[in-house]
Amino acid sequence: MTRRALLLFAFTAGSLALGLAPARADVLSDAKAAGVLKVGTETEFAPFDYIDGDKHVGFNVDFFDEVGKSLGMKIEWVALPWDGVLPGLESSKFDIVAGPAIITKARMQRYTFSSPIGEGTVTLVKRASDASIQKPTDIAGRSVGGGRGSNQLVQLKELAASVSPPATVREYTGANETQADMAAGRIVASAMSLPNALAAAKRRPDMFAVVLPPFGVKAYFGYIGRKDAASASLMQAVDAQVAAMKTDGRMAKLQQKWFGATTELPASVTDPAS
Amino acid sequence: MTWFLFALMVQAAGTTLLISFVAIAIGLVIGILVCGAMLSPSVVLRGPARLYVSFFRGVPLLVQLLLFYHLLPAIGINISSVAAALVALSLCTAAYQAENLRGGFLSVSRGLLEAAEAVGMERLQRFRRVSVPIAIRLTIPALVNEAIGILHASALISVVGVIELTKTARNFAATTFDPLPFYACAGLLYLGLTYGVLGLGRAAERHLAVRHA
Repeated sequence: MTRRALLLFAFTAGSLALGLAPARADVLSDAKAAGVLKVGTETEFAPFDYIDGDKHVGFNVDFFDEVGKSLGMKIEWVALPWDGVLPGLESSKFDIVAGPAIITKARMQRYTFSSPIGEGTVTLVKRASDASIQKPTDIAGRSVGGGRGSNQLVQLKELAASVSPPATVREYTGANETQADMAAGRIVASAMSLPNALAAAKRRPDMFAVVLPPFGVKAYFGYIGRKDAASASLMQAVDAQVAAMKTDGRMAKLQQKWFGATTELPASVTDPAS
Repeated sequence: MTWFLFALMVQAAGTTLLISFVAIAIGLVIGILVCGAMLSPSVVLRGPARLYVSFFRGVPLLVQLLLFYHLLPAIGINISSVAAALVALSLCTAAYQAENLRGGFLSVSRGLLEAAEAVGMERLQRFRRVSVPIAIRLTIPALVNEAIGILHASALISVVGVIELTKTARNFAATTFDPLPFYACAGLLYLGLTYGVLGLGRAAERHLAVRHA
């Protein structure tokens, strides 16, 4: 038993080193045959994916319900911490990531993005009681924060360096920790994408306020698939779904419901600004 | 925090308790086997058992969880979140429990065993009637310690997608943008569960205590 476990580990490590991923024919037809599409996400990301009481809700849940309806399959959600979501996609724990994630050059090199499903330009959130921050450049000389590995943090660092005196940027493991530290007064503002910022301020108007306008380069959210040939048909089907929902107004309805406003979205982002 | 959310937190504490209990139980069975192998005179048994213990005590549980969840699919074994969590927790605690048990057996005094031999007990009799009862009594405090350790370590299993107590608190913190009450509540629930385990351990010790006639 113990030997077998060890052999298994040796074999796993070995095959990983050799890059022997199990071959898959076509992700979409496999999912159709099984009647289930597995979608990976993180559930600490209102308004896209969050837990309301005992229910998993959000923009993503509504969107993928529509995908499931038009492709004739059930949606099975797998919720991981964000650090684990992209590794989970690569180890085939699921076939697409809801997230969503900001479409960036670096990510496009490794993954396939769907058509944009939301605007995610960076916005500052501050304590509602703090009158000293009225516009993004008011962070000069103060401490601000953002989630490690996020596009928002990259943009925030640029903003922090451009003001005089420069702002100090602190990095956190996620939005949860960033908000908690702002509530505790260790930072004066945190960088979030616009929809997340609006959701925070809407949920806790006593605690948080959005600092407008958004800053940095215009960025868009997309869903993420693997970059292999087997995933191509699935990603095309999701893109077709986005296009259909834009045309018949369902997308605008979802945007209104979850973001409180509708935004024009490009059909695709091929050359993101960062 | 509403009563509804509190009820969901309690339910999540139930998940934490159930998974920890199952892991401890499976770990105890494997731990007994590994301990037996380590105490055996045969190198063929001792070698792999030592390797097992050094691997599972040498690699952080968090890394083991990620290995089971993300690496096994590379060789075509795609286990579910709960399975990955249970396998990692059980195999890890088994290594610690094997060592605890081994310590218990090694602490049985030679004098007692010699006395047993002197009154004519066979090898198996000495093992069954002297070594085992004494070793179990000596091991219980360490076993309770390990159970509490696993109860708390189970907070890590959300990295493979199991929604237990800590993850539920995080989810609600993220949804309400109000982390404090949920983390405080999770802390109190862990404290309650820990006291439960301690109580069970004490009951076991009382039950097994040597009664002087």
